[in-house]
Amino acid sequence: MDVVFNRVGKRFGQRDALADLSFELQSGEMAFLTGHSGAGKSTLLRLLLLLERASSGDIAVGGRPLSKIKPSGIAKYRRDFGVVFQDHQLLSDRSVYHNVALPLEIAGFTQRDIDRRVRAALDKVGLLDRERANPDTLSGGEQQRVGIARAVVARPKILIADEPTGNLDPQLSAEIMGLFSAFNSVGVTVIVASHDLALISRMSHRILTLDKGSLITVGDSQRGRD
Amino acid sequence: MSNQQSAAGIGVGPRSPISAWFHHHRQAAQASYEKLLQAPVSNFLTILVIGVALALPHLGISIATAVQGQIEQLDSPPQLSLLLDGTVTYEEAARIREQVMRKPGIAEVKLVDRDRALAEFTAATGLQDLVERLSSNPLPHSLWVYPKANVRTAGLEQLQIDLGALTGVSQVILDSRWLKRLNAFTDLLRTTASVLFLVMALGVVLTLGNTLRLGIEARRDEIVVIKLIGGGNAFARRPFLYTGLFTGALGGVMASLLSGLALMALNAPVNRLFELYDQVPAVPSLVPSDLFVLILMGAGLGLISAWYSAQLHLTRIQPK
Repeated sequence: MDVVFNRVGKRFGQRDALADLSFELQSGEMAFLTGHSGAGKSTLLRLLLLLERASSGDIAVGGRPLSKIKPSGIAKYRRDFGVVFQDHQLLSDRSVYHNVALPLEIAGFTQRDIDRRVRAALDKVGLLDRERANPDTLSGGEQQRVGIARAVVARPKILIADEPTGNLDPQLSAEIMGLFSAFNSVGVTVIVASHDLALISRMSHRILTLDKGSLITVGDSQRGRD
Repeated sequence: MSNQQSAAGIGVGPRSPISAWFHHHRQAAQASYEKLLQAPVSNFLTILVIGVALALPHLGISIATAVQGQIEQLDSPPQLSLLLDGTVTYEEAARIREQVMRKPGIAEVKLVDRDRALAEFTAATGLQDLVERLSSNPLPHSLWVYPKANVRTAGLEQLQIDLGALTGVSQVILDSRWLKRLNAFTDLLRTTASVLFLVMALGVVLTLGNTLRLGIEARRDEIVVIKLIGGGNAFARRPFLYTGLFTGALGGVMASLLSGLALMALNAPVNRLFELYDQVPAVPSLVPSDLFVLILMGAGLGLISAWYSAQLHLTRIQPK
Protein backbone atom coordinates (compact mmCIF):
# COMPACT_ATOMS: atom_id res chain seq x y z
CA MET A 1 0.00 0.00 0.00
CA ASP A 2 1.68 3.21 -1.12
CA VAL A 3 1.79 6.42 0.92
CA VAL A 4 1.84 9.87 -0.68
CA PHE A 5 2.36 13.15 1.16
CA ASN A 6 1.79 16.18 -1.07
CA ARG A 7 2.77 19.59 0.41
CA VAL A 8 1.41 18.58 3.81
CA GLY A 9 1.44 21.05 6.68
CA LYS A 10 0.31 20.72 10.28
CA ARG A 11 -0.05 23.73 12.52
CA PHE A 12 -0.64 23.69 16.28
CA GLY A 13 -1.64 27.21 17.24
CA GLN A 14 1.10 29.49 15.95
CA ARG A 15 3.64 26.68 15.57
CA ASP A 16 4.24 24.71 12.38
CA ALA A 17 4.82 21.07 13.38
CA LEU A 18 5.11 20.11 9.72
CA ALA A 19 5.55 22.41 6.74
CA ASP A 20 5.20 21.73 3.02
CA LEU A 21 6.11 18.06 3.36
CA SER A 22 6.16 15.98 0.18
CA PHE A 23 7.35 12.39 -0.34
CA GLU A 24 6.11 9.09 -1.68
CA LEU A 25 6.59 5.55 -0.39
CA GLN A 26 5.87 2.65 -2.70
CA SER A 27 3.90 -0.34 -1.53
CA GLY A 28 6.21 -2.84 0.19
CA GLU A 29 8.89 -0.25 0.85
CA MET A 30 10.62 0.22 4.22
CA ALA A 31 11.50 3.72 5.38
CA PHE A 32 13.02 5.29 8.45
CA LEU A 33 11.90 8.66 9.72
CA THR A 34 14.67 10.34 11.58
CA GLY A 35 15.47 13.70 13.07
CA HIS A 36 15.89 15.37 16.45
CA SER A 37 13.25 15.38 19.10
CA GLY A 38 10.48 17.78 17.99
CA ALA A 39 11.44 17.43 14.32
CA GLY A 40 7.92 16.25 13.46
CA LYS A 41 8.34 12.45 13.23
CA SER A 42 5.50 11.62 15.61
CA THR A 43 3.26 14.27 14.06
CA LEU A 44 3.78 12.69 10.65
CA LEU A 45 2.81 9.27 12.01
CA ARG A 46 -0.22 10.76 13.79
CA LEU A 47 -1.38 12.26 10.49
CA LEU A 48 -0.96 8.89 8.85
CA LEU A 49 -3.03 7.16 11.55
CA LEU A 50 -5.65 9.93 11.40
CA LEU A 51 -5.06 10.86 15.02
CA GLU A 52 -4.73 14.36 13.59
CA ARG A 53 -5.88 15.96 10.35
CA ALA A 54 -3.47 17.88 8.14
CA SER A 55 -3.82 21.67 8.21
CA SER A 56 -2.86 21.87 4.53
CA GLY A 57 -1.88 19.65 1.62
CA ASP A 58 -3.02 16.11 0.81
CA ILE A 59 -2.17 12.68 2.15
CA ALA A 60 -3.18 9.56 0.23
CA VAL A 61 -2.83 5.95 1.39
CA GLY A 62 -3.39 3.25 -1.18
CA GLY A 63 -4.65 5.95 -3.53
CA ARG A 64 -7.32 7.04 -1.08
CA PRO A 65 -7.17 10.69 0.11
CA LEU A 66 -7.34 10.79 3.92
CA SER A 67 -9.34 14.01 3.80
CA LYS A 68 -12.24 11.99 2.37
CA ILE A 69 -12.33 9.60 5.33
CA LYS A 70 -15.16 10.51 7.71
CA PRO A 71 -14.79 10.10 11.50
CA SER A 72 -17.04 7.03 11.32
CA GLY A 73 -14.61 5.40 8.87
CA ILE A 74 -11.41 6.00 10.85
CA ALA A 75 -11.58 2.77 12.88
CA LYS A 76 -11.86 0.65 9.75
CA TYR A 77 -9.07 2.63 8.05
CA ARG A 78 -6.75 1.94 11.01
CA ARG A 79 -7.24 -1.82 10.60
CA ASP A 80 -4.88 -1.62 7.61
CA PHE A 81 -2.12 -0.55 10.02
CA GLY A 82 -0.06 -2.30 12.60
CA VAL A 83 1.34 0.08 15.20
CA VAL A 84 4.33 -0.45 17.52
CA PHE A 85 4.80 2.02 20.36
CA GLN A 86 7.86 2.98 22.33
CA ASP A 87 5.99 2.27 25.58
CA HIS A 88 4.49 -0.95 24.19
CA GLN A 89 0.89 -0.07 25.22
CA LEU A 90 0.19 -3.60 26.39
CA LEU A 91 -2.85 -4.30 28.56
CA SER A 92 -1.82 -5.69 31.90
CA ASP A 93 -5.24 -7.19 32.71
CA ARG A 94 -4.86 -9.84 30.03
CA SER A 95 -2.25 -12.37 29.00
CA VAL A 96 0.31 -12.06 26.22
CA TYR A 97 -1.92 -14.27 24.08
CA HIS A 98 -4.97 -12.04 24.55
CA ASN A 99 -2.97 -8.86 23.94
CA VAL A 100 -1.81 -10.21 20.62
CA ALA A 101 -5.29 -11.53 19.78
CA LEU A 102 -6.98 -8.14 20.27
CA PRO A 103 -6.66 -6.83 16.66
CA LEU A 104 -8.00 -10.15 15.35
CA GLU A 105 -10.97 -9.99 17.72
CA ILE A 106 -11.71 -6.46 16.53
CA ALA A 107 -11.43 -7.56 12.90
CA GLY A 108 -13.84 -10.44 13.60
CA PHE A 109 -11.61 -13.47 12.99
CA THR A 110 -12.82 -16.91 14.05
CA GLN A 111 -11.36 -18.41 17.20
CA ARG A 112 -9.55 -21.05 15.12
CA ASP A 113 -7.92 -18.35 12.98
CA ILE A 114 -7.10 -16.28 16.05
CA ASP A 115 -5.39 -19.28 17.63
CA ARG A 116 -3.31 -20.02 14.57
CA ARG A 117 -2.35 -16.42 13.87
CA VAL A 118 -1.49 -15.51 17.46
CA ARG A 119 0.71 -18.57 17.84
CA ALA A 120 2.39 -17.90 14.48
CA ALA A 121 3.05 -14.26 15.44
CA LEU A 122 4.38 -15.19 18.89
CA ASP A 123 6.56 -17.87 17.32
CA LYS A 124 7.91 -15.31 14.87
CA VAL A 125 8.99 -12.98 17.72
CA GLY A 126 10.26 -15.90 19.82
CA LEU A 127 7.69 -15.71 22.62
CA LEU A 128 5.47 -18.71 21.98
CA ASP A 129 6.38 -20.18 25.35
CA ARG A 130 5.22 -16.97 27.13
CA GLU A 131 1.72 -16.79 25.70
CA ARG A 132 0.05 -17.27 29.09
CA ALA A 133 2.28 -14.76 30.89
CA ASN A 134 1.13 -11.37 32.05
CA PRO A 135 2.93 -8.62 30.08
CA ASP A 136 4.04 -6.98 33.34
CA THR A 137 6.20 -10.03 34.09
CA LEU A 138 8.18 -9.69 30.84
CA SER A 139 11.39 -7.74 30.22
CA GLY A 140 11.34 -4.54 28.17
CA GLY A 141 12.62 -6.35 25.09
CA GLU A 142 10.03 -9.10 25.46
CA GLN A 143 7.25 -6.55 25.92
CA GLN A 144 8.35 -4.81 22.75
CA ARG A 145 8.28 -8.11 20.87
CA VAL A 146 4.74 -8.74 22.14
CA GLY A 147 3.86 -5.28 20.84
CA ILE A 148 5.32 -6.20 17.47
CA ALA A 149 3.45 -9.51 17.42
CA ARG A 150 0.23 -7.61 18.10
CA ALA A 151 1.04 -5.11 15.34
CA VAL A 152 1.64 -7.77 12.69
CA VAL A 153 -0.81 -10.49 13.74
CA ALA A 154 -3.64 -9.23 11.52
CA ARG A 155 -1.23 -8.95 8.55
CA PRO A 156 -1.47 -5.16 8.20
CA LYS A 157 -0.71 -3.49 4.92
CA ILE A 158 1.41 -0.85 6.66
CA LEU A 159 3.48 -1.31 9.82
CA ILE A 160 4.24 1.84 11.78
CA ALA A 161 6.69 1.99 14.68
CA ASP A 162 7.29 5.09 16.78
CA GLU A 163 10.71 4.92 18.48
CA PRO A 164 10.40 1.13 18.92
CA THR A 165 13.92 0.73 20.26
CA GLY A 166 13.94 3.79 22.49
CA ASN A 167 14.30 1.87 25.75
CA LEU A 168 16.25 -1.14 24.48
CA ASP A 169 19.94 -2.00 24.46
CA PRO A 170 21.79 -2.12 21.09
CA GLN A 171 21.56 -5.90 20.71
CA LEU A 172 17.80 -5.98 21.35
CA SER A 173 17.35 -2.96 19.09
CA ALA A 174 19.11 -4.79 16.26
CA GLU A 175 16.85 -7.82 16.82
CA ILE A 176 13.73 -5.66 16.68
CA MET A 177 14.92 -3.99 13.47
CA GLY A 178 15.61 -7.43 12.05
CA LEU A 179 11.97 -8.35 12.72
CA PHE A 180 10.79 -5.25 10.87
CA SER A 181 13.00 -6.17 7.89
CA ALA A 182 11.56 -9.67 7.94
CA PHE A 183 7.99 -8.35 7.77
CA ASN A 184 8.97 -5.91 5.04
CA SER A 185 10.45 -8.77 3.03
CA VAL A 186 6.96 -10.35 2.75
CA GLY A 187 5.50 -7.18 1.26
CA VAL A 188 4.43 -5.10 4.27
CA THR A 189 5.14 -1.37 3.97
CA VAL A 190 7.14 -0.43 7.08
CA ILE A 191 7.66 3.07 8.47
CA VAL A 192 9.89 3.40 11.53
CA ALA A 193 10.41 6.67 13.39
CA SER A 194 13.71 6.64 15.23
CA HIS A 195 16.48 9.01 16.23
CA ASP A 196 19.00 6.16 16.52
CA LEU A 197 21.14 7.08 13.53
CA ALA A 198 23.75 4.42 14.23
CA LEU A 199 21.12 1.72 14.06
CA ILE A 200 19.43 3.16 10.99
CA SER A 201 22.72 3.44 9.10
CA ARG A 202 23.16 -0.33 9.37
CA MET A 203 19.87 -0.96 7.62
CA SER A 204 19.51 -1.01 3.86
CA HIS A 205 16.41 1.13 3.52
CA ARG A 206 15.09 4.54 2.70
CA ILE A 207 15.65 7.39 5.13
CA LEU A 208 13.51 10.52 5.53
CA THR A 209 15.19 13.14 7.68
CA LEU A 210 13.04 15.80 9.29
CA ASP A 211 14.15 19.02 10.89
CA LYS A 212 11.77 21.53 12.49
CA GLY A 213 8.85 20.07 10.56
CA SER A 214 10.52 20.12 7.16
CA LEU A 215 11.89 17.23 5.15
CA ILE A 216 15.55 18.00 4.66
CA THR A 217 16.79 14.81 3.04
CA VAL A 218 15.36 11.74 1.35
CA GLY A 219 17.99 9.06 0.90
CA ASP A 220 19.06 5.45 1.11
CA SER A 221 21.30 4.21 3.92
CA GLN A 222 23.38 2.01 1.56
CA ARG A 223 23.78 4.50 -1.31
CA GLY A 224 24.36 7.57 0.81
CA ARG A 225 22.06 10.49 0.98
CA ASP A 226 20.72 12.08 -2.21
CA MET B 1 -2.86 -9.77 1.67
CA SER B 2 -4.34 -12.95 0.35
CA ASN B 3 -0.96 -14.01 -0.98
CA GLN B 4 0.62 -13.37 2.37
CA GLN B 5 -2.07 -15.34 4.15
CA SER B 6 -1.87 -18.32 1.92
CA ALA B 7 1.92 -18.24 2.04
CA ALA B 8 1.78 -18.27 5.80
CA GLY B 9 -0.86 -20.97 5.76
CA ILE B 10 -2.96 -19.03 8.23
CA GLY B 11 -6.75 -19.17 8.00
CA VAL B 12 -9.05 -17.58 5.51
CA GLY B 13 -9.68 -14.17 7.11
CA PRO B 14 -12.35 -12.47 9.15
CA ARG B 15 -15.95 -13.59 9.51
CA SER B 16 -18.75 -11.95 7.55
CA PRO B 17 -19.70 -8.56 9.06
CA ILE B 18 -22.96 -9.92 10.53
CA SER B 19 -21.28 -12.97 11.99
CA ALA B 20 -18.50 -10.77 13.41
CA TRP B 21 -21.12 -8.42 14.90
CA PHE B 22 -22.84 -11.26 16.72
CA HIS B 23 -19.50 -12.67 17.82
CA HIS B 24 -18.44 -9.29 19.26
CA HIS B 25 -21.73 -9.04 21.15
CA ARG B 26 -21.31 -12.51 22.61
CA GLN B 27 -17.77 -11.69 23.67
CA ALA B 28 -18.77 -8.32 25.15
CA ALA B 29 -21.65 -9.92 27.08
CA GLN B 30 -19.39 -12.62 28.47
CA ALA B 31 -16.65 -10.14 29.40
CA SER B 32 -19.20 -7.87 31.15
CA TYR B 33 -20.63 -10.79 33.09
CA GLU B 34 -17.15 -11.82 34.24
CA LYS B 35 -16.32 -8.24 35.26
CA LEU B 36 -19.52 -8.10 37.37
CA LEU B 37 -18.38 -11.21 39.22
CA GLN B 38 -14.93 -9.75 39.79
CA ALA B 39 -16.29 -6.97 42.05
CA PRO B 40 -19.26 -8.61 43.80
CA VAL B 41 -19.60 -6.22 46.75
CA SER B 42 -19.58 -2.91 44.89
CA ASN B 43 -21.81 -4.31 42.15
CA PHE B 44 -24.23 -5.71 44.74
CA LEU B 45 -24.52 -2.24 46.31
CA THR B 46 -25.26 -0.69 42.91
CA ILE B 47 -27.88 -3.38 42.26
CA LEU B 48 -29.38 -2.72 45.71
CA VAL B 49 -29.69 1.01 44.95
CA ILE B 50 -31.45 0.25 41.66
CA GLY B 51 -33.67 -2.28 43.43
CA VAL B 52 -34.82 0.23 46.05
CA ALA B 53 -35.36 2.91 43.40
CA LEU B 54 -37.63 0.62 41.39
CA ALA B 55 -39.35 -1.06 44.34
CA LEU B 56 -40.66 2.16 45.93
CA PRO B 57 -42.80 3.37 43.01
CA HIS B 58 -43.83 -0.20 42.24
CA LEU B 59 -45.11 -0.55 45.79
CA GLY B 60 -46.98 2.76 45.56
CA ILE B 61 -48.71 1.82 42.32
CA SER B 62 -49.51 -1.71 43.54
CA ILE B 63 -51.09 -0.44 46.74
CA ALA B 64 -53.04 2.32 44.93
CA THR B 65 -54.41 -0.22 42.48
CA ALA B 66 -55.36 -2.66 45.23
CA VAL B 67 -56.99 0.00 47.42
CA GLN B 68 -59.00 1.35 44.50
CA GLY B 69 -60.16 -2.15 43.63
CA GLN B 70 -61.30 -2.75 47.18
CA ILE B 71 -63.07 0.59 47.51
CA GLU B 72 -65.06 -0.08 44.37
CA GLN B 73 -66.48 -3.13 46.10
CA LEU B 74 -67.57 -1.25 49.24
CA ASP B 75 -71.29 -1.08 50.04
CA SER B 76 -71.61 2.49 48.94
CA PRO B 77 -74.70 4.63 49.37
CA PRO B 78 -76.72 5.44 46.20
CA GLN B 79 -74.86 7.84 44.04
CA LEU B 80 -78.02 9.53 42.74
CA SER B 81 -81.38 9.91 44.45
CA LEU B 82 -84.35 10.78 42.23
CA LEU B 83 -87.25 12.35 44.11
CA LEU B 84 -90.40 11.98 42.02
CA ASP B 85 -93.33 14.40 41.87
CA GLY B 86 -95.83 13.92 44.68
CA THR B 87 -98.55 13.13 42.15
CA VAL B 88 -96.62 10.21 40.59
CA THR B 89 -98.25 6.88 41.40
CA TYR B 90 -96.35 3.71 42.25
CA GLU B 91 -97.05 2.29 38.75
CA GLU B 92 -95.81 5.46 37.09
CA ALA B 93 -92.72 5.36 39.33
CA ALA B 94 -92.07 1.79 38.17
CA ARG B 95 -92.23 2.97 34.54
CA ILE B 96 -89.79 5.79 35.30
CA ARG B 97 -87.51 3.20 36.90
CA GLU B 98 -87.58 1.22 33.65
CA GLN B 99 -86.71 4.39 31.71
CA VAL B 100 -83.76 5.08 33.99
CA MET B 101 -82.56 1.47 33.74
CA ARG B 102 -82.29 1.86 29.97
CA LYS B 103 -79.88 4.80 30.30
CA PRO B 104 -76.20 3.99 29.63
CA GLY B 105 -73.93 3.76 32.65
CA ILE B 106 -76.63 2.53 35.05
CA ALA B 107 -75.92 -0.60 37.09
CA GLU B 108 -79.04 -0.80 39.22
CA VAL B 109 -82.12 1.25 40.14
CA LYS B 110 -84.16 0.64 43.28
CA LEU B 111 -87.69 1.97 43.61
CA VAL B 112 -88.34 3.11 47.16
CA ASP B 113 -92.01 3.21 47.95
CA ARG B 114 -93.13 6.35 49.79
CA ASP B 115 -94.72 4.30 52.60
CA ARG B 116 -91.54 2.30 53.09
CA ALA B 117 -89.53 5.51 53.04
CA LEU B 118 -91.75 7.00 55.75
CA ALA B 119 -91.44 3.85 57.85
CA GLU B 120 -87.67 3.89 57.53
CA PHE B 121 -87.62 7.59 58.37
CA THR B 122 -89.72 6.98 61.45
CA ALA B 123 -87.55 4.08 62.56
CA ALA B 124 -84.37 6.02 61.94
CA THR B 125 -85.41 9.24 63.69
CA GLY B 126 -87.73 7.95 66.43
CA LEU B 127 -90.24 10.67 65.58
CA GLN B 128 -93.22 8.33 65.54
CA ASP B 129 -95.52 10.75 67.43
CA LEU B 130 -94.85 13.48 64.95
CA VAL B 131 -95.43 11.21 61.98
CA GLU B 132 -98.69 9.91 63.37
CA ARG B 133 -100.01 13.44 63.56
CA LEU B 134 -99.54 13.96 59.82
CA SER B 135 -102.73 13.78 57.79
CA SER B 136 -100.94 12.20 54.83
CA ASN B 137 -97.50 10.88 53.81
CA PRO B 138 -95.50 13.94 52.65
CA LEU B 139 -92.75 11.84 51.06
CA PRO B 140 -92.76 11.09 47.30
CA HIS B 141 -91.74 7.81 45.72
CA SER B 142 -88.04 7.84 45.00
CA LEU B 143 -85.47 6.01 42.96
CA TRP B 144 -81.98 5.11 44.15
CA VAL B 145 -79.75 5.00 41.11
CA TYR B 146 -76.45 3.01 41.24
CA PRO B 147 -74.20 3.99 38.34
CA LYS B 148 -71.68 1.51 36.98
CA ALA B 149 -68.23 1.52 38.61
CA ASN B 150 -66.54 2.99 35.57
CA VAL B 151 -68.73 6.11 35.56
CA ARG B 152 -66.55 8.89 36.90
CA THR B 153 -67.51 12.25 38.34
CA ALA B 154 -68.06 14.01 35.02
CA GLY B 155 -70.31 11.18 33.85
CA LEU B 156 -72.37 11.35 37.03
CA GLU B 157 -72.93 15.05 36.62
CA GLN B 158 -74.16 14.53 33.06
CA LEU B 159 -76.40 11.73 34.29
CA GLN B 160 -77.82 14.11 36.88
CA ILE B 161 -78.82 16.52 34.12
CA ASP B 162 -80.31 13.76 31.92
CA LEU B 163 -82.35 12.19 34.72
CA GLY B 164 -83.57 15.59 35.91
CA ALA B 165 -85.14 16.12 32.48
CA LEU B 166 -87.36 13.02 32.76
CA THR B 167 -91.10 13.63 33.19
CA GLY B 168 -92.19 12.97 36.75
CA VAL B 169 -88.78 13.62 38.26
CA SER B 170 -88.89 16.49 40.71
CA GLN B 171 -85.32 16.57 41.93
CA VAL B 172 -82.05 14.70 41.42
CA ILE B 173 -79.64 14.64 44.33
CA LEU B 174 -76.08 13.72 43.47
CA ASP B 175 -73.94 12.80 46.40
CA SER B 176 -70.65 13.32 44.63
CA ARG B 177 -68.56 14.97 47.29
CA TRP B 178 -67.22 11.75 48.76
CA LEU B 179 -66.69 10.40 45.25
CA LYS B 180 -64.68 13.43 44.26
CA ARG B 181 -62.57 12.99 47.38
CA LEU B 182 -62.05 9.34 46.64
CA ASN B 183 -61.06 10.01 43.06
CA ALA B 184 -58.76 12.80 44.14
CA PHE B 185 -57.15 10.51 46.69
CA THR B 186 -56.54 7.64 44.29
CA ASP B 187 -55.36 10.06 41.60
CA LEU B 188 -52.97 11.61 44.10
CA LEU B 189 -51.64 8.20 45.07
CA ARG B 190 -51.09 7.21 41.47
CA THR B 191 -49.56 10.56 40.49
CA THR B 192 -47.24 10.46 43.50
CA ALA B 193 -46.11 6.96 42.57
CA SER B 194 -45.59 8.00 38.92
CA VAL B 195 -43.60 11.10 39.87
CA LEU B 196 -41.63 8.98 42.31
CA PHE B 197 -40.90 6.54 39.49
CA LEU B 198 -39.63 9.34 37.22
CA VAL B 199 -37.43 10.77 39.97
CA MET B 200 -36.12 7.35 40.90
CA ALA B 201 -35.54 6.45 37.23
CA LEU B 202 -33.48 9.62 36.84
CA GLY B 203 -31.61 8.66 40.00
CA VAL B 204 -30.91 5.20 38.58
CA VAL B 205 -29.64 6.66 35.30
CA LEU B 206 -27.34 9.10 37.10
CA THR B 207 -26.11 6.58 39.70
CA LEU B 208 -25.44 3.81 37.24
CA GLY B 209 -24.10 6.32 34.71
CA ASN B 210 -21.58 7.52 37.28
CA THR B 211 -20.58 3.96 38.17
CA LEU B 212 -20.03 3.23 34.49
CA ARG B 213 -18.08 6.47 34.10
CA LEU B 214 -15.67 5.21 36.75
CA GLY B 215 -15.48 1.91 34.86
CA ILE B 216 -14.69 3.75 31.63
CA GLU B 217 -11.97 5.78 33.35
CA ALA B 218 -10.49 2.62 34.86
CA ARG B 219 -10.24 1.12 31.38
CA ARG B 220 -8.95 4.24 29.66
CA ASP B 221 -5.69 2.57 28.54
CA GLU B 222 -7.58 -0.34 27.03
CA ILE B 223 -9.95 2.01 25.19
CA VAL B 224 -7.01 3.99 23.79
CA VAL B 225 -5.32 0.81 22.54
CA ILE B 226 -8.57 -0.49 21.06
CA LYS B 227 -9.08 2.75 19.16
CA LEU B 228 -5.47 2.75 17.96
CA ILE B 229 -5.67 -0.72 16.49
CA GLY B 230 -8.92 -0.27 14.64
CA GLY B 231 -11.72 -0.70 17.19
CA GLY B 232 -14.31 2.06 16.90
CA ASN B 233 -16.50 3.64 19.55
CA ALA B 234 -19.11 0.91 19.04
CA PHE B 235 -16.60 -1.85 19.80
CA ALA B 236 -15.26 -0.03 22.87
CA ARG B 237 -18.78 0.86 24.06
CA ARG B 238 -20.30 -2.63 23.82
CA PRO B 239 -18.98 -4.10 27.10
CA PHE B 240 -20.28 -1.07 29.00
CA LEU B 241 -23.71 -1.40 27.43
CA TYR B 242 -23.86 -5.02 28.58
CA THR B 243 -22.68 -4.03 32.05
CA GLY B 244 -25.51 -1.47 32.22
CA LEU B 245 -28.01 -4.00 30.89
CA PHE B 246 -27.01 -6.75 33.34
CA THR B 247 -26.76 -4.43 36.34
CA GLY B 248 -30.16 -2.89 35.55
CA ALA B 249 -31.81 -6.29 35.04
CA LEU B 250 -30.37 -7.57 38.32
CA GLY B 251 -31.63 -4.35 39.93
CA GLY B 252 -35.08 -5.32 38.62
CA VAL B 253 -34.75 -8.73 40.26
CA MET B 254 -33.73 -7.00 43.50
CA ALA B 255 -36.73 -4.65 43.21
CA SER B 256 -39.03 -7.66 42.83
CA LEU B 257 -37.55 -9.23 45.92
CA LEU B 258 -37.89 -6.04 47.98
CA SER B 259 -41.43 -5.42 46.74
CA GLY B 260 -42.45 -8.97 47.56
CA LEU B 261 -41.05 -8.67 51.08
CA ALA B 262 -42.69 -5.28 51.63
CA LEU B 263 -46.07 -6.54 50.43
CA MET B 264 -45.80 -9.51 52.75
CA ALA B 265 -45.11 -7.14 55.64
CA LEU B 266 -48.11 -4.98 54.67
CA ASN B 267 -50.40 -7.98 54.43
CA ALA B 268 -51.59 -8.10 58.05
CA PRO B 269 -52.35 -4.39 58.67
CA VAL B 270 -54.13 -3.93 55.31
CA ASN B 271 -56.19 -7.05 55.89
CA ARG B 272 -57.27 -5.73 59.29
CA LEU B 273 -58.31 -2.44 57.67
CA PHE B 274 -60.47 -4.09 55.02
CA GLU B 275 -62.00 -6.52 57.48
CA LEU B 276 -63.48 -3.46 59.21
CA TYR B 277 -65.46 -2.87 56.01
CA ASP B 278 -66.47 -6.52 55.72
CA GLN B 279 -64.28 -6.85 52.68
CA VAL B 280 -62.35 -9.86 51.53
CA PRO B 281 -58.70 -8.95 52.15
CA ALA B 282 -56.82 -8.50 48.93
CA VAL B 283 -53.33 -7.20 49.52
CA PRO B 284 -51.53 -7.29 46.20
CA SER B 285 -48.89 -9.94 45.87
CA LEU B 286 -46.04 -10.07 43.40
CA VAL B 287 -47.14 -11.78 40.21
CA PRO B 288 -44.88 -13.03 37.38
CA SER B 289 -45.86 -10.09 35.18
CA ASP B 290 -44.59 -7.69 37.89
CA LEU B 291 -41.30 -9.53 37.94
CA PHE B 292 -41.08 -9.32 34.16
CA VAL B 293 -41.94 -5.60 34.09
CA LEU B 294 -39.46 -4.75 36.85
CA ILE B 295 -36.63 -6.67 35.17
CA LEU B 296 -37.48 -5.07 31.83
CA MET B 297 -37.56 -1.59 33.39
CA GLY B 298 -34.29 -2.19 35.22
CA ALA B 299 -32.62 -3.50 32.08
CA GLY B 300 -33.97 -0.57 30.04
CA LEU B 301 -32.78 2.01 32.56
CA GLY B 302 -29.41 0.26 32.76
CA LEU B 303 -29.03 0.38 29.02
CA ILE B 304 -30.01 4.06 28.88
CA SER B 305 -27.51 4.86 31.67
CA ALA B 306 -24.73 2.98 29.89
CA TRP B 307 -25.48 4.63 26.57
CA TYR B 308 -25.58 8.10 28.10
CA SER B 309 -22.38 7.50 30.04
CA ALA B 310 -20.53 6.00 27.06
CA GLN B 311 -21.62 8.83 24.77
CA LEU B 312 -20.52 11.39 27.33
CA HIS B 313 -17.20 9.91 28.41
CA LEU B 314 -16.02 7.14 26.09
CA THR B 315 -16.17 9.16 22.88
CA ARG B 316 -13.92 11.76 24.51
CA ILE B 317 -11.14 9.25 25.04
CA GLN B 318 -8.88 9.45 22.01
CA PRO B 319 -5.36 8.15 21.43
CA LYS B 320 -2.73 10.83 21.97
